[in-house]
Amino acid sequence: MSNAPAEEIPAEEIDLAEANHIIDKYLTLPGNLMPVLQGIQDSYGYVPKPTIDLVAERLNVYPSQIYGVLTFYAQFHLKPRGRYIIRVCVGTACHVQGAERIVETFFGRLGIGHAETTPDLRYTFEKVACLGACGMAPLAMVNDDTYGKMTVQKVDEIVETYNQRPMK
Amino acid sequence: MVNLTINGTQVAVEKDATIYDAAKACGIKIPILCHDKKLHPFGGCRMCLVEVEQMKGRLIPACTTPVTEGMIVQTTTDEIVKARKLVLELLLLKHPIDCPVCDAAGDCDLQNLTFEYKVNTNRFVDEKFNHEIDYDNPLIERDMNRCIHCGKCARICDEIVSYGAYTFINRGIEAKMGTEFDGPLNCEFCGSCVSVCPVGALNSRPFKFKARWWALQKTKSVCSYCGTGCQLTLGTKDGKVLTTVYDENQGFHNGQLCTRGRFGYQFVNSAKRLTTPLVKKNGKLQEASWEEALEVVTSRLSAGKSDPASVAALATPRLTNEELFLFEKLFRGTIGTDNIDHSAGYAHAALTKGAKASFGVAASPSEIADIQKSNLLLVVKSDAYETHPVIGFEMNLGVKRKGIDLRIVSDKKGKLTRLPGAKTTVHTPGSEVALFNALCKSIIDQGLAAEGVAGLAELKAAVADATAEKAGVTAEEIAALAKDYAAAEKALIILPIGLGYPGHDAALANAAANLAILTGKIGKEGCGLLIMGEKNNSQGAADLGIYPKSTGLSASAIIEGCGNGNIKTLFVAGENPVVSYPNRQKVEKALENVEFMVVADLFLTETAQLADVVLPACSFAEKSGTFTSLGRRVQMVRKAVPAVGLAKSDFEILNTLSAAIGGARYNNQAEIFTEIASTVPAYQGLTQGKLGDEGVVLPVTVSAKLVPAVAKAVAPVAGKLALLTGSALYHSGTMSRFGEGPMYVCPTAYAELSMADAASLKIAEGDMVTVTSATGSVQVAAKVGKRVPQGTVFAPYHFGEGSVNSITDGAAVTYVTVAKK
Repeated sequence: MSNAPAEEIPAEEIDLAEANHIIDKYLTLPGNLMPVLQGIQDSYGYVPKPTIDLVAERLNVYPSQIYGVLTFYAQFHLKPRGRYIIRVCVGTACHVQGAERIVETFFGRLGIGHAETTPDLRYTFEKVACLGACGMAPLAMVNDDTYGKMTVQKVDEIVETYNQRPMK
Repeated sequence: MVNLTINGTQVAVEKDATIYDAAKACGIKIPILCHDKKLHPFGGCRMCLVEVEQMKGRLIPACTTPVTEGMIVQTTTDEIVKARKLVLELLLLKHPIDCPVCDAAGDCDLQNLTFEYKVNTNRFVDEKFNHEIDYDNPLIERDMNRCIHCGKCARICDEIVSYGAYTFINRGIEAKMGTEFDGPLNCEFCGSCVSVCPVGALNSRPFKFKARWWALQKTKSVCSYCGTGCQLTLGTKDGKVLTTVYDENQGFHNGQLCTRGRFGYQFVNSAKRLTTPLVKKNGKLQEASWEEALEVVTSRLSAGKSDPASVAALATPRLTNEELFLFEKLFRGTIGTDNIDHSAGYAHAALTKGAKASFGVAASPSEIADIQKSNLLLVVKSDAYETHPVIGFEMNLGVKRKGIDLRIVSDKKGKLTRLPGAKTTVHTPGSEVALFNALCKSIIDQGLAAEGVAGLAELKAAVADATAEKAGVTAEEIAALAKDYAAAEKALIILPIGLGYPGHDAALANAAANLAILTGKIGKEGCGLLIMGEKNNSQGAADLGIYPKSTGLSASAIIEGCGNGNIKTLFVAGENPVVSYPNRQKVEKALENVEFMVVADLFLTETAQLADVVLPACSFAEKSGTFTSLGRRVQMVRKAVPAVGLAKSDFEILNTLSAAIGGARYNNQAEIFTEIASTVPAYQGLTQGKLGDEGVVLPVTVSAKLVPAVAKAVAPVAGKLALLTGSALYHSGTMSRFGEGPMYVCPTAYAELSMADAASLKIAEGDMVTVTSATGSVQVAAKVGKRVPQGTVFAPYHFGEGSVNSITDGAAVTYVTVAKK
């Protein structure tokens, strides 16, 4: 189409078989873009660029529109995410119970900030507004496991525990 | 009809109208920023808020609210004005007030409304946006700091252009109009987004800092590239064309243009323009005066009168009707030669011969307006979008808005094949006629032919051996397509023709016409055949008889004659045979051989370089006259700037020559139009005054007749690829090479290969490859894509360097080998 120089981005090595499988599943469903993207997010842990091109091609949707959807919803991620997602609540109840110190301790322990991922892809850290369990404030979650009444000491324990867990 | 009251005025409107439409119908202006009559209502900007008696308590957006019976609407109460002022204050909160350096100043809806509503203070304070400005391409500047999120760019790119370059990205305060991965714009660069942007967020870069809006002089004219006949407004200052001005009320296309129309005007003021006559002295072209140059030409032409058979003339269908008429009169009339032609012999035969045989008239029996009125479009070649993009927009709109079925028969895929619901039948190269014959046979066999069609038995016999296999498609595909076509209440066949499409000839027009006639889909609204002539005045050239009528030589025979010495004097008005006619080596040799050649052109083209005399001609912007579009609409071209240098219009050149050798002399071009109106039947009764801004569609009386078409067998050559030639997106002939827009989108010749062939030949995108045929070889850059099927290679024909006519010889398909350089 155009002669605009293509950016020199090394192509990601992504196996598209799973994405194709997800698209097959929803191909004939009206309004299939969301379930397809959610499926890809679940399967790959994020939405890799090659899968966006594939979805655009197979569902005949403009890549720009897919990008618009992906950046609109907080549930989608365009960069690889950690195997373990640590979420610390900084909502009102947790805040008054010292959530900020918990957050700071995690930052220091993991060497990453909010919405960042460790280079070994083990952890992604997120501050969140409320996890819906104010009675257990201050609260942290690692994937689906909940850790209530958090303390600075518990941060070390959690990181130790998940350092031992497998990556797969 | 629905009756309602707006500001005390009674008005009756269609039931699908909105309050905004109703107000407009009775002359009441409601301010808008995000609304556009061409696009679906959006309701984003809240400028059009009005009060409705029946919905008291809140303000209602006029652009999205449908009218209901008895509605009582107020459009300018104190409360409304207050609300609109608030909207403007909020928009101006983030919008930079950099009007002094903004190109949109004077043409900015936000600026005008701020002025109109006297918003001279703002109660709010906030930081401005700090987005990076996209200067990554030379045509469209994207300054998202000025964006007011009306979304028009994204909507027009989706709804009309069907490219989808833009989208809203992110959320809340961070939301902005962006592209895929928020990267630089990388699209077709048609500039539709620029035209509808209500502020200066999207700008035309070629026009940047060239002139203030209000200092531009605006002249309504017609685009001089393809045969669509888009109207455009030229913005000029100090004798130079500086931009094209968007006018949403212009033409069937509502001011929409493609890249070449919008950004291709620079050829007018190109530094490469010829500014003085050139005469060959001592083997070299040297500057000369008009007197000197014309004297040489006059003496040759006068001498030619005694031996008319040795004189030949080629004219480009880019000339005005008046010029073509004068051209015909000079050569066929005064000199008495029938050796006159335009590229018809190669390109427009479908129009001049095919349509004449099938419909009794050398024109499209259908109009452009039929596209949207049809139920099914059968498009030959996916390239219809590349050759005539604004007609492509019409097809996009029809398919997306009205659910018109789109069927494409093509030898490769393209943008059109991706439209929703489009079904593409990919056939083997050069088998278009065979395919249409198979469709006709299928119609007859399935008993779908209309009753009482004359000549059915002959056609049945003629297509008896037509099979789907001959076109390389399955019998089921043909049967289904025939059935769909016959079943559609209204169906229109669209056929692009032009120099790049050697297979799109008279036989194909006949074959396609047969299908329409056989099913009774002719002579009715939304039905028939739209033959898309390549150049801006291809239809005019056919109407005015710029082709040999009896024993004269056609374009190819003229070249032949130049080669063998039968033609001694050749007059070329704007044609560039060296680059555009088949077999470049042969053409070059012939033109070097001809005793005397005059070329009148805007540029020192590859052909002009071989001439004995070169006359500098005027572009469409420097002259007045008429063009006839492929939809048979005659439209006024109006002079917008004075001639460049010493250039003269072809009218002036031909008029002077005609008078000098004892022919007619006219005082002005309008006089010729009067004569055209009295001698060419279709133009009867027309005057230039009657054409107005809209133009006039010529009447057509179709007497349809089945004309069996013979499918030439194209035998594939083992181990070779079939070369398809055609148009690259937004190029038109060889003239678009002098326009910035088309040259940015596609600057050089290329050869497009399928992924499979590229892999087996070990060719990667961008590699230089040598394409070799029996005629010659050429080196171009390779493109690799999904559009071209295996076994074929596509190359556009517009370029002088690596010109594809070096390897073609006029056959529908040329077999070539491709190898890495």
